[in-house]
Amino acid sequence: MQGTLELLILKTLSHESMHGYGIAQRIHQSVDDLLKIEDGSLYPALYRMEERGWIASEWGVSENNRRAKFYKLTRAGRKHLDAERANWDRISRAVTKVLQTA
Amino acid sequence: MRDLTRRLFNPLGSEAIEREVEEELRFHLESLTEQYLQHADTFEEARASALRRFGDVEQVTDECVEISKRKRPFMRALKSFFILIFLAGIFVRIFGTELHVDRFGTMLITVAVMGRLFLYVRGLNPAGFRPKSDPSSSLILNSRAKTPASLFDADNL
Repeated sequence: MQGTLELLILKTLSHESMHGYGIAQRIHQSVDDLLKIEDGSLYPALYRMEERGWIASEWGVSENNRRAKFYKLTRAGRKHLDAERANWDRISRAVTKVLQTA
Repeated sequence: MRDLTRRLFNPLGSEAIEREVEEELRFHLESLTEQYLQHADTFEEARASALRRFGDVEQVTDECVEISKRKRPFMRALKSFFILIFLAGIFVRIFGTELHVDRFGTMLITVAVMGRLFLYVRGLNPAGFRPKSDPSSSLILNSRAKTPASLFDADNL
């Protein structure tokens, strides 16, 4: 689904900065086996989002003392998250309505 | 040797970018492998599970490198500049003998080779972690999950 993965990433990063593995873990926990997400697919999405200015990255040290690249949400990313979230709610309500009435 | 030549003369060379991307993906794959090791009998089994969950490492690496390259026009320009200097040096060496400027040509060639070598060494990546795995869709509904998700048609996603 177009933009869904980006929305999941933005939401995951809305509380704290995380490395790619941490983002994948958090998303897997959140979707609770409903969605199958290949971890690798996160990275092109992360790189594209950084290119668009929604997230920023910097190298740091992980919880097990290894070098890892951390991502954090930018102000533009937070705005985009709010907009996409509203958009998602609207689409979700519309589809649910159609499914219930058709 | 062919790889070295390719890297030295590739105007869009991306050793530093590749190194960064591979380091980032390696961290992910190693963390995943460690996670699966808690339940797997062997390291190979854990690694295979990690690669299955990750997807096509090579494709992901290539995509990320391509996107990163777009963000670093300066490095591309610098590499192209060294190649131009190198070609100019050769030109001066060949046609500058009568004007006694062939030493200048040698100097240009040396500067170009040293500069390009510096960029190459800076971007060296001694260990790659790019095995292949089966490519598949990156984000699909899990049809085996016992949830209302089966209401939706996964083919349309």
